[in-house]
Amino acid sequence: MKLSLSRRTLLSGAIAGTVLLGLPACSSAVGQQGSGEVEKGGTFTGGISTDLVPANFFTNSNAGVTTVIGLTYESLVSYPVDRLEPKPKLAESWTVSPDGRTVTLRLRDDVKFHTGRPFTSQDVAFSLRTYADPKWNGQLKSTAQAIESIGTDQPHTAVLKLKHPLGNLFDLLEIVPIVDEKTFSGVGDGSRYVGTGPFKFEKWTPNARLRFVKNPDYWVPERPYLDAVDISVVTDATALTNRLRSGQIDYAYGIGYHDIERLEKTGRFGKIQLAGAENQIYVGTNVTAEGLSDVRVRKAIAHALDRDRIIAEVFRGSGYPADLPWPKTSPAYDAKLNTTYRRDLAKAKALLADYGKKVPTLTYSYASPVPQYEATAQIVQANLKEIGIEVKLEPLDPPTFVAQLIGGKFKGLWTTYHSWAQYTPSTLTVSAYPFNALKNTSHYSSPAYTKNAEAAWKQTKGDSAEAKQAYAALSRDLLDGLFLIEIGIVEQRWAVSDKVKGVGYTKRSELVLTDARLTG
Amino acid sequence: MTDIALKAGKAPRVRRGALTHGRGLAGLVLVGVVVAAGLLAPLLTPYTPQQQIPGANLLGASGGHPFGTDEVNRDVFTRVLHGVRVDLAVCLLAVPFGALLGGLAGLLAGRSGIADVFTQRAFDVVLAFPPVILGIAVTAVLGPGVLPVVCVVIAAEVPLFGRLVRTATLKVRELPYVDAAETMGASRTWVLRKHVVPNILDAVIVQLALSASVAVFIVSAMNFIGIGVRPPAPSLGGVLADAMGQLGSNNLYAVGPLLVIVVLVLGFQLIAQALLASRRGGAR
Amino acid sequence: MTSYLLRRLPSLAVVLAVSSVLIFGLLRLVPGDPAVTLAGANATPDAVAAIRHELGLDRPVAGQYLHWLAGLVTLDLGRSHIVGGGIGSLVGSALGYTLLLTASALLLAVVAALVLGTLWAGTRRPWVDHLLTGANTLAIAVPTFVLGVALALLFGVVFPVLPTGGVPREGLLADPGITAQYLLLPTICLALPVGGVLTRYLAESLRTELAQPYVVTALAAGISRRRVLVRHALRNVLPTSLTVLGLQTGAVLGGAVLIEFTFSWPGIGMLIERAITGRDYPVVQVLLMLSVTIFVVLQLLTDAAHALLDPRIRLGGTR
Repeated sequence: MKLSLSRRTLLSGAIAGTVLLGLPACSSAVGQQGSGEVEKGGTFTGGISTDLVPANFFTNSNAGVTTVIGLTYESLVSYPVDRLEPKPKLAESWTVSPDGRTVTLRLRDDVKFHTGRPFTSQDVAFSLRTYADPKWNGQLKSTAQAIESIGTDQPHTAVLKLKHPLGNLFDLLEIVPIVDEKTFSGVGDGSRYVGTGPFKFEKWTPNARLRFVKNPDYWVPERPYLDAVDISVVTDATALTNRLRSGQIDYAYGIGYHDIERLEKTGRFGKIQLAGAENQIYVGTNVTAEGLSDVRVRKAIAHALDRDRIIAEVFRGSGYPADLPWPKTSPAYDAKLNTTYRRDLAKAKALLADYGKKVPTLTYSYASPVPQYEATAQIVQANLKEIGIEVKLEPLDPPTFVAQLIGGKFKGLWTTYHSWAQYTPSTLTVSAYPFNALKNTSHYSSPAYTKNAEAAWKQTKGDSAEAKQAYAALSRDLLDGLFLIEIGIVEQRWAVSDKVKGVGYTKRSELVLTDARLTG
Repeated sequence: MTDIALKAGKAPRVRRGALTHGRGLAGLVLVGVVVAAGLLAPLLTPYTPQQQIPGANLLGASGGHPFGTDEVNRDVFTRVLHGVRVDLAVCLLAVPFGALLGGLAGLLAGRSGIADVFTQRAFDVVLAFPPVILGIAVTAVLGPGVLPVVCVVIAAEVPLFGRLVRTATLKVRELPYVDAAETMGASRTWVLRKHVVPNILDAVIVQLALSASVAVFIVSAMNFIGIGVRPPAPSLGGVLADAMGQLGSNNLYAVGPLLVIVVLVLGFQLIAQALLASRRGGAR
Repeated sequence: MTSYLLRRLPSLAVVLAVSSVLIFGLLRLVPGDPAVTLAGANATPDAVAAIRHELGLDRPVAGQYLHWLAGLVTLDLGRSHIVGGGIGSLVGSALGYTLLLTASALLLAVVAALVLGTLWAGTRRPWVDHLLTGANTLAIAVPTFVLGVALALLFGVVFPVLPTGGVPREGLLADPGITAQYLLLPTICLALPVGGVLTRYLAESLRTELAQPYVVTALAAGISRRRVLVRHALRNVLPTSLTVLGLQTGAVLGGAVLIEFTFSWPGIGMLIERAITGRDYPVVQVLLMLSVTIFVVLQLLTDAAHALLDPRIRLGGTR
């Protein structure tokens, strides 16, 4: 592997273009990894397609952030990916008062931050309060703001007093990473990330890489196995695929569904399908637009969509069609309600005939260039043409799209993903802006929906029979109002080489490598 | 563009004969084939460019689909042929317009010192922004579509023609006989008409052919990065961009638009070369 | 010479000033802003307002412009909204990568042009001429973005011998051999069209030069064709070729935007792409100003080089 001086000189000459002959003999960048030996410890190498955005630290919105949080931080409780059942993490145990307004958390006393400072109830208070600050745009900030006070009298007990019962409180405790107050200014500019997790953050080089090293004082004995984690930022999906294929990395987040299928066929790569961390793809409607203001037209659209084709062809079967946001892991999932709007062109045409007027050409916006959105939009366009509705596609660059989404400026239809339905159902309606009962992109409002959303949120226990009734009412509101027409539940896929074992994820698609090993 | 070239037949140094043999003929044939394929597209394939064929998801090349089908079940061959129309239309619209604007600015620059400084610096400002960056910015303001593409091509052409015409004008006016004519009191307009225009015309024609190839490049690059023609309308760059994600499933999906882009750019380049060679009067 | 440069300074300042207003103004015409980008698809309007306030975007635009200008003049570039960190260090590290890439591309292009251009003009073998003509025409005709993916496929997938994206893990300086391999594909991609244009230009000018009477005289006097070509003709065409190189340098920097993105090379091109799609105003502004400045300075340098070689320009002839 050593490079002799003469060869090095020769290689530098590569730039002059004479060197291709000399290349095979030299130490190869492509063969840099993978000596083939079984490694104890070792460096886990991966690639992600979206870089860290420091200001998005609490928003769980891109692979850079989820990688840093998954490796460096921990939260008070954790959910198994397939159930909403809180398990101890930094909080050993907890009690909830009968009125649901006081929650006492007993914290582990053997946990230290990466700086060596012990973890206490003060840190719980600081983390939850910071999360509630609107400038960090945390998705559950309304839930965090409903915490009236946090008692920190004892270092290892935190007492949360709530303004009203919160059915999704444990979602919040599962989501908020516990941060170190002393070094928190480093989070804002991406220079320092100090948590209690299995890996210490070492360095971030914007647009290039994230480096982590093992936390030798991790409170879980004999974990992690790995010595270091090295994540490259490779924005081009083809280049990312090539890196994985050529053995330069063993893990990739951001490869297209088709490419993962092809990688699997080689037998040397596998996929990790993020069941439990689902996203939903949907067609949104502006209910104040001409034509779309009539629910019969929206129902006709819902009946015209070829959901099976979109899931099968665009998402390569990594998910399932749906009429409601809830994934199969959700307590609100109801298989019968979920097929309310099957593809039925006759019914769709009948609804339009009932409406009577001609639906004007609808503008259909999506973020570009995102292959999945573009393919989905074109299929939907063809579907609607079948029932006589003309659609004009409007690809927008991502910031313009988000500006219109938040500002409620879409002229007709739009398509994007939403998330947060994998948690307690009330989390969706109080957190995801497209579903917000009081003010949303669709300009939809209905007293019943507002009331039922509020009722679902204020349940004392998120999965009680009473709560489930509240969710069913909410589902019926969504189906009747139909301001967002769901297409399906999508599970993202990661690609890994057969050299790594034990790669895990959380319900927020965070990378978990506590149990990961390299098998050589 | 062709009719400009024909009118220029009178100009002494660019010979129409340049395009009847060798490189010029090859270029003309390459461009001609692509143009003909674009014009005759509806006759050459049984599909429409937006027709989604049930079940035909990312099929490989076959007799029915020479370039296979795409991720939304459309015939790639059909989309490429129709894409040619869009690319050519933009070129035919934007290049002559940019040449006209640039040429006028160049002539203006040759007239007075202040105008010269002003136009030169204006060209500097425009040239300082790479076309792709310009494209992203213009599209963000105007929204995607053909219009921003046309604008960017024009913006890229104007300084090129402007500088060309300005330099040529200055050069011509320095020629001894033109200098002499001016000394003898010939009016500027007369000099312009009699000496400057005929002299720079052939340089402009060569630049037109070169610009056409640059325009094809810009149009396909903008469509390639997704800021051009709106889907589902086909364009060469757009089809190529879609193909990039599917290289493993259908190889000819990418090769089709790629070939057509290269052939078009190559054809225009060859024509420009042939014109240039004939202008020099050499055999090369 | 100094007086020539001094005469050019005011117009240079005007170009920069106009560009700064254009850049600042245009950017704010574009829909969407950094606050919106940070907020994301699930955010509420009040969160966006809070972020906007945090970033100072709710202040009057004229005030923001003056503040930015003052920062520029005092070399305080500010902080990035999206990418994070100080702009000085962000741009510095990205610039290093881009300069390495463009320098190696230019070097490759110049060497290729000098060797192949001279060969092309000087050759009397038809097959060499045809081969070079064909290769050259293709080099210019194949768009960079097409070539990039084609190269990545060929050397990354079909013959996986070269890395097709990113930078060496241990940094650029750790092992020059490895760095050269990472650099090779993007360099070829970036150098090919420029090299093609340069080669073509050089060959064409050389041929024009070879048709000059002095060459005929020299050849008749028995001086070898090679010697005439290299010692006399080449020397005469180099000045104008320098101008073409200067203009092409701008094109190379522009081309780097696409190339860096294709090969995930963390330079200015990738930074500007990310900054634009994230509406990271401070970063976009600084980068575009940098691009304009580089272009204007290159323009000045080529003009100065021209002036140095042509007394009519230096002495400020009115024509």
